[in-house]
Amino acid sequence: MIIKKRSREGGEFSTASMADITFLLLLFFLVSTNIDVDTGIGLTLPEITDITNVAPLSKERLAAILINESGDVLLNKEIISIPQIRENLRARIRSKIDLPKNKKLVVSIKTDRNTNYNLYIQALDAIKGAYFDVRDEYALNHWGIKTHNPEKLTKQQFNELKEKIPIIISIAEPEKIK
Amino acid sequence: MKFEKKRAATKQGIPTASMPDIIFMLLLFFMVATTLREQEVYVKFSLPEAQAIEKIENKRLISYIYVGKSGRIQIDDNIVPLKNVQEIMYRKRVALPNVIVSLRIDKNAKMGLITDIQQALRKADTRRINYSATLKQ
Repeated sequence: MIIKKRSREGGEFSTASMADITFLLLLFFLVSTNIDVDTGIGLTLPEITDITNVAPLSKERLAAILINESGDVLLNKEIISIPQIRENLRARIRSKIDLPKNKKLVVSIKTDRNTNYNLYIQALDAIKGAYFDVRDEYALNHWGIKTHNPEKLTKQQFNELKEKIPIIISIAEPEKIK
Repeated sequence: MKFEKKRAATKQGIPTASMPDIIFMLLLFFMVATTLREQEVYVKFSLPEAQAIEKIENKRLISYIYVGKSGRIQIDDNIVPLKNVQEIMYRKRVALPNVIVSLRIDKNAKMGLITDIQQALRKADTRRINYSATLKQ
């Protein structure tokens, strides 16, 4: 008896569907990716210290912002609205650019326990905005670039900005009343 | 006179052999860019809006604290009481010394709670924080 040998075709498998499979994987990762970056207002909290050895700041350096629970804002004991903070602080920061390090402006924020968080963020935003405005101006006047973005400046320029216009925001110690 | 059309000797059609390679390349990009560490959030919150916001450049350093409308605090996958915040954050700080704490807080929260959390963070020495906010249009 003769057994017929079947002729085989070349031992390859088709790669035509490979593209489809990879497309499927690609789609999965496309859908599950979220490239959104986290944005927010950055801050460094102060170290825990004893309240007793804190030296009081001179009136000239301090901009104290108080927000009470009904949303009224005081800046150095005068009533002000949140959008006005930016304008007001800008002038004060600008006047202190050329002063030495220990004479720069310190902005302090203090809130009541019942103050709305959103108000606090709006005030903080206004303060940061004022600082960024002055940094922008400084950069424009000195290097012709209108930005405070560290990515667009050289390291040296950014350090100069940080030295001339340091952002000092102090969060007041909460009071232990009530 | 009869014209004969000239035909190219080569086959027509785009070779698709390299298509998988191209798609693999795209696939690899997305695989690398994806962070699958998505957390389930148990508290309900809507972030405040602000203008002077910055990007957090290094996503791997971030550790989140969520505070919801109801004032509940979530760290990682658990709802935690306020008194445990300090200990948990201290442990995080030991594991990752330059951790950035991103505070995702509902805009109607009360400052009293936020102050308490901040005091806990200060005691845990995790002092780099970021108030999460979306860009105001």
